[in-house]
Amino acid sequence: MSEPQKIVITDIFSPFQEYINAEQEVREVIKNIIKDVEKSLREMLITLQVIHSEINCELIHNAILKTREQFEEIRKGFDALDKVVPPSQYYRYNDHWRFATQKLCFVAALIVFLEKGVLIDQITAAEILGLHQKENVHLNLEDYLMGLLILATELARFAVNAVTLGDYNRPLQISKFVAELNAGFRLLNLKNDSLRKRFDALKYDVKKIEEVVYDLSIRGLISTNQNAEQATGVTKNE
Amino acid sequence: MLKNKGRYRPRKLKPLVGKQAKELLETLDDDHLITKMFKSFAAELDQKHDRYERIVKLSRDITIESKRIIFLLHSINTELDEKKNSVLLEAESRLLNISNHNFRSIATELKDQDGYLYHRAFTDGMQEFIEALCLYHFTKEGIIYSWDKYKEYFQYKNEENSAFELLFVQYDFILGIADFTGELMRKCINTLTSGNVDDCFKLCNFVRFIYTAFLGLPPTGNKNISRKMYVLKQSLSKMELVCYNIQIRGSEVPKHMLLNVIQSHEEESDDGFSL
Repeated sequence: MSEPQKIVITDIFSPFQEYINAEQEVREVIKNIIKDVEKSLREMLITLQVIHSEINCELIHNAILKTREQFEEIRKGFDALDKVVPPSQYYRYNDHWRFATQKLCFVAALIVFLEKGVLIDQITAAEILGLHQKENVHLNLEDYLMGLLILATELARFAVNAVTLGDYNRPLQISKFVAELNAGFRLLNLKNDSLRKRFDALKYDVKKIEEVVYDLSIRGLISTNQNAEQATGVTKNE
Repeated sequence: MLKNKGRYRPRKLKPLVGKQAKELLETLDDDHLITKMFKSFAAELDQKHDRYERIVKLSRDITIESKRIIFLLHSINTELDEKKNSVLLEAESRLLNISNHNFRSIATELKDQDGYLYHRAFTDGMQEFIEALCLYHFTKEGIIYSWDKYKEYFQYKNEENSAFELLFVQYDFILGIADFTGELMRKCINTLTSGNVDDCFKLCNFVRFIYTAFLGLPPTGNKNISRKMYVLKQSLSKMELVCYNIQIRGSEVPKHMLLNVIQSHEEESDDGFSL
């Protein structure tokens, strides 16, 4: 081997190979962790589908409880992830769990909405996911916001199905909630990124929900404004 | 607006925010919880974005200056030692200038940040800089150095003498080297015009080593690497063709004419690259 060739191979490419191999190993471990997380996530999504077909409070309550239990698995997963991701390299591997985190954030936001009727804040979301005050992983703002946008779409569907099930108060609560969310998002200067694209879909959700409310109101299913407010108040206090 | 729902179907494509949401937009005041929450989000997003943009700007300047340095290094005609030295000196000081100013600014921006979040903003500048740096060392000493050595260009000390460094991803290093082979190809052809055929063979061999090394890499999933390898292969073929022509026609054609011979040869099989 000539001198330049030796340098190219041993000094430049061998260390690079080691670097790639080490990185692949970390990625493998992460992938396995996320695979389990995604499995639990799918189960949660299935559990929560009950809201679209059942009006029975107890069934919904049970679904929420079950989802909360399933979050235990998620927290275990993120605990493990925290140990695998090297310090300040969150964004090096972020692609592996970004999507799952967004969905999980949505699930957390949905159960908080069902329980209390309020918008989940970032810290609560991080706590539910088990990403709060971790060393090397966190819930980043974009994923949290993306979760909220997914929630809006799900709530638009929920409003429609609630009417089908005869619950005429739910759409009012949802309408107010999503309108507030929409107002909030309008305060952000979103750049031309994925969050922006997803946000552009929010207005369709808002519109859909308002159409439901409109349909209810022209049929006199919401008698007066006062009643409507009372109704939303009642759902909130549940 | 809903009265005409049936007639104005296209409205569905571009819905406006409804009355209720509009009212809410107007009535939400600054003290509302949602407003407060989202204002702080907005500030965080803006901050991130602004920092990203600042780094992109810095990186763009680095790219431009690196390209100029590469151009400068190509102007060396190996015959004149004195000119060569002065060009090398100038190139060195300009490279150091990039390292000490532009890259230092990026490193300062990224202190206490996750560099990987902003990596995309400066990867281009980084690769171009590595390309220039390799060409400089190759022109000067006939060799390029390892990642560890080039890492030193991104290590700094602040006023309190505490060290900080810029994230130097190994991918950027390897991709910079891939780009650098393109410069060697250009250099090979330039050398030919000056009639220095030995250097052509040397350059060709060196690029061949690099290509061979690239072949040995495990699959990385990094699209840039395969893309640049493709370009590298083309450059190498071009150089190998040059060497072939020198060998086979070298004795028939005067050296300064060789380039024409090769160019006409290339026209038949060219892929759009012009010298």
